[in-house]
Amino acid sequence: MKELKAFFTKTPTGGIFLALILVCALFSSMTSRFLTPTNISVILNQVSVNAILAFGVTFVIIAGGIDLSLGSLVAVCGVVVALLSQNNEYSLWLAIIGTLIAGIALGALNGIIVVLTKVPPFIVTLGTMTIGRGVALILSKGRPISDLNESLNFLGNGDLFGIPIPILFLVLSYATCHILLTKTIFGRYVKAIGGNEMASYVAGVRVNRIKLYVYMISGLFAALAGILLTARINTGQPNAGLGFELDAIAAVIIGGTSTRGGKGTITGTLLGVLFIGVINNGLDLINVSAYWQQVIMGGIIILAVVLDGLYQKLKMNI
Amino acid sequence: MKLKYLLFACILFVCFSCGEKKSDKVIIGVSMLSMQNEFIQQVADALEKSAATSQVELIIVDAERSSLKQVEQVESFISQQVDAIILNPCEFEASSPAVDKAKKAGIPIVNVNSSTKSKPDAFVGSDDAESANMAMELIAKKLGGKGNIVMIQGYMGQAAQLDRERGAKIVLAKYPGLKLLATQTGEWDRAKSMALMENWIQSYGDQIQAVFAQNDEMGLGAVQALMDAKKKQQVYVVSVDGIKDAKKSVTQGNLDATIIQNAGQQGSEALRLALELVQKKPLKESNMLIPFEIFVK
Repeated sequence: MKELKAFFTKTPTGGIFLALILVCALFSSMTSRFLTPTNISVILNQVSVNAILAFGVTFVIIAGGIDLSLGSLVAVCGVVVALLSQNNEYSLWLAIIGTLIAGIALGALNGIIVVLTKVPPFIVTLGTMTIGRGVALILSKGRPISDLNESLNFLGNGDLFGIPIPILFLVLSYATCHILLTKTIFGRYVKAIGGNEMASYVAGVRVNRIKLYVYMISGLFAALAGILLTARINTGQPNAGLGFELDAIAAVIIGGTSTRGGKGTITGTLLGVLFIGVINNGLDLINVSAYWQQVIMGGIIILAVVLDGLYQKLKMNI
Repeated sequence: MKLKYLLFACILFVCFSCGEKKSDKVIIGVSMLSMQNEFIQQVADALEKSAATSQVELIIVDAERSSLKQVEQVESFISQQVDAIILNPCEFEASSPAVDKAKKAGIPIVNVNSSTKSKPDAFVGSDDAESANMAMELIAKKLGGKGNIVMIQGYMGQAAQLDRERGAKIVLAKYPGLKLLATQTGEWDRAKSMALMENWIQSYGDQIQAVFAQNDEMGLGAVQALMDAKKKQQVYVVSVDGIKDAKKSVTQGNLDATIIQNAGQQGSEALRLALELVQKKPLKESNMLIPFEIFVK
């Protein structure tokens, strides 16, 4: 009991965890189909793409930046992996590694522009978002790319030891990002420059280099998300990933990462992603009309963040 | 001094107006709904192909789903003094000013694929309600007029979504044995519709006997979800448009049927009508409906 109380009061993610449990309880009281092992697996499978994107961009947001180009990066990388694995021209591994490198390079482009020009990242990534969408359309000639390598389809829809592969990617990405943020010097530097950039610079942190790295991480995970999405729907779609950046950023903020940078956790982001995923799934299960789904979704997100704020205040007084 | 500038400006103006000689070739301005949509692109391809054979110069622009942008594009066509305009309207009401402006300027305008509130000189397209009607009839026949259906809707509020919904509802009313278990939007998107179908498989399990998706992309998403859940054999899936991927999926025996909307014919007929209007020939029909075809294995 003491540990439980400590979890809720000490960890910054306690609020959103509570909200998640609340909506789960609500949905399972409304339909018996919600809390079943297969539905939980379906939810995890569906959130995997958004989760992977959100993990990557958590670093950028903690470092005090923002990345709006995520959705377009997903489209570009999704198209690239589709082109590389079309008609079995190259081996799957080559296609995947090539795409991941492309993602890192595009992320680096964001980082380099942000660092060199000092233009606010909001504007820089808004620009690269539009460029990326155009590049995806140019590469694919505006059409979906099909006839992909069979083993790519397996990545998106197959399973290993009974666990769907996207969920394995989700777990692996979570572990990697969590360790990177909490157990390494790099992670500490990311929080430091997000908290106070000038002070970090004076203390000898290579601010520009760290900033470049966080955008590269964001690009890498966007590429991974693009590969998974293409694998899941078995086609490379140039208009895929529209609005994904907003879902990912929303998950990060719901998960307690400060929009001003400096603090945040990967666990919080995971909870934020699950929160959005559970609501999407639950509203479909109880068959809420499409018009109302959007209203309810927006309302619940605002409510969750407001409640989290109140909860944090309350916690200070305990 | 001022007079000198004014004179200079006048001379410049005259020079430019002289320079703008009209070529002998017929020029037609085309504003398309969205070049990111495969079906619309097929219409544009057909327009280009028949323009090449009939010595017409086309200026094709992409309205990117914005009717405001579309109206502006038509305004610039008018100031460029094109010989005719082909419009693929973004919206029924909001794209209407484009038609009004062209008519006021005396430039013939042909609507292709979807309609506007203001009546153009000619229209070429297909009745969206009819395609949904045909798809639902296929499902009704397959299920013997009795069974459970789910419907995946397009982007809510768009003309194609509303019309296809109306067509489907007509058939549903005809067969009281058909039950619409659930409807939800997949926003014309394959990934979204796949997630939706996964959720429905969870909530309705084996109750679902047929799926009607309001476009092929979403039909293919539903098929993928059903195949992953190993339920495709029990569920009959029909969608509308006849894009390349969908036809292939039908031949492979995955998607059960698609209703082909003939993009090629819509494009070539639109161009033919526009040319006839330019040449001031009397039109045999100003409202041309291209019939749909059912594509099954």
